[in-house]
Amino acid sequence: MATKLTCRRAFAPVILKRTFAWAQPRNGVENPNESRAKTAPGRPWNGDQLYLRLQKIAKQPFPRTNPHSFQSSYITKKRHTRNLIVYKAPESPLKRCTDPISTVHASQISLLDPTGARTRLFSKTNPECARVGDILLVRMRTGDPFSGVCINIRRRGVDTAILLRGQLTRVGVEMWYKIYSPLVEGIEVVQRVAKRARRARLTYMRKEKHDRGDVSNVVRMYLRQKAALGIGGAKGGKRVGGLGPVGGKKSGKGKKK
Amino acid sequence: MPPKAPLNWGLIPPSFLLPSSAQSLFPLIPLTQPYPQPSYIPIRTIKSTNKPRPDRFAYDSKRSPLQSSTSAALARKAHSTPLRTGALALKRGMTALYDPETGKRTPCTVLQLDRNQVIMHKTREKNGYYAVQIGAGQKKADNVTRPMLGHFATARVSPKRWVVEFKVRGEEGLKVRVGEAITASWFRAGQFVDVKGISRGMGFAGGMKRHGFSGQPASHGQSLMHRGMGSAGGSQGSGSRVLPGKRMAGNMGNESVTVQNLKVLQVDDANGIVVVSGCVPGPKYQILRIQDARKKPWPEGPMSIAEMASMASQTATTTVTAEA
Repeated sequence: MATKLTCRRAFAPVILKRTFAWAQPRNGVENPNESRAKTAPGRPWNGDQLYLRLQKIAKQPFPRTNPHSFQSSYITKKRHTRNLIVYKAPESPLKRCTDPISTVHASQISLLDPTGARTRLFSKTNPECARVGDILLVRMRTGDPFSGVCINIRRRGVDTAILLRGQLTRVGVEMWYKIYSPLVEGIEVVQRVAKRARRARLTYMRKEKHDRGDVSNVVRMYLRQKAALGIGGAKGGKRVGGLGPVGGKKSGKGKKK
Repeated sequence: MPPKAPLNWGLIPPSFLLPSSAQSLFPLIPLTQPYPQPSYIPIRTIKSTNKPRPDRFAYDSKRSPLQSSTSAALARKAHSTPLRTGALALKRGMTALYDPETGKRTPCTVLQLDRNQVIMHKTREKNGYYAVQIGAGQKKADNVTRPMLGHFATARVSPKRWVVEFKVRGEEGLKVRVGEAITASWFRAGQFVDVKGISRGMGFAGGMKRHGFSGQPASHGQSLMHRGMGSAGGSQGSGSRVLPGKRMAGNMGNESVTVQNLKVLQVDDANGIVVVSGCVPGPKYQILRIQDARKKPWPEGPMSIAEMASMASQTATTTVTAEA
């Protein structure tokens, strides 16, 4: 029905289907087969060329003499917007800010970690970053510091957390720490892992065979050395984040072991 | 069709139709025979014509009986109808915020507003209630019907993907004019909102997943029945029937869920971001309705776009951390 109306009003339809059976010669040139031979002599038949050619033919006015059965081959331009103004959509905030979670993370991290030390300590782009298998020491604003082997780093922007496995009263203990939490005063790398772990999560360390056990000796050595060298203040409690020079020194220690 | 009087087959025709010779035979026939009237008054309606009887259980002598008019119904709902419109937002994901002083961590959801615009006002006079019709998102004009295109063109807005109504209490809620854009700073950090949306669909779920039934034991002679719901009720003596509302397996999720009293923690007008505490229904990119919380005091938020702009200029990006 719509095609008939279009025909009567003599709109130029756009052909979207391959219907070259009725194609009219334009300027006495185009037969699809001929044009194919012209544009690509000696080359195998190419569907794309035919498609392009038909697009050109499509600019012709609607042929009224075609039998009705061919008229379904036309898809006429939608006319249901005629006499109506379709206002243009304004710019979307979704385009402006494709990842709002990252935006929120960035604003929070700039607030909670103004120096960027914590971000650097766990950033994958930093070659000196803390990795799974390292022994980390976490100092809290209240309560005792905890040290253990880092067996998991869950990276979620401002919600990034680490899982440390250590021992308290000779009982294996695992603790999650949010690295950007204001309650965490500082995180220090006590000992680097000698060889890069080939797992993202070292859950096998929970098995007795692989358990690192107590790391308090390593931590005590580290603290004594640090005090002797006078790095990071007398007690070292005021440092926020494990920092570049400390990490570098410790990497040497890891090799020694 | 009104009821017809039955044909009076058995009756003698009126006396003036009888031949004059016969009149002497029936001198007592009255000249006018009244048509028999139907025994009931026909009222063409599907409603009962009986007056509602007072409910002897719900009756309270101290209270005046409920009025069944629309204005009375609106008056009853007035205290829980927000003063101003809400907005549509997309769920973009969850994260957490920290309070720098106390160190308290608050899980939160990041919502993003996508080109909310007022399309229409509904008024008490014309529609029976006050509401603001809001459209959000974008839709290709080819995929919009002509009546809806006309509707959008009247409001001078682009075709919208989602169109919803937010009921407001009265005329003052219609201060946002048709065609105006509602952005993230419509909400203020620190206020409370209700968030409504369609929950994640779980499909057809059994009783254990859907209602938390315990299932049956794995062993102790249990055979071929481990996650079934068990009995659906008693037998003879209890009525030999399944009580209405019996919880059973069925479709879980994919239903409208409202989460009340979520605190707005952060508002970023430039990026259309509203961060609310806690979780909201649905997966990421779920469309959600945000409106002022009904069970908290109404916020001193902007009632119009001009107010919103002036309030937003005072505080560019506001953050409030949730205290316990």
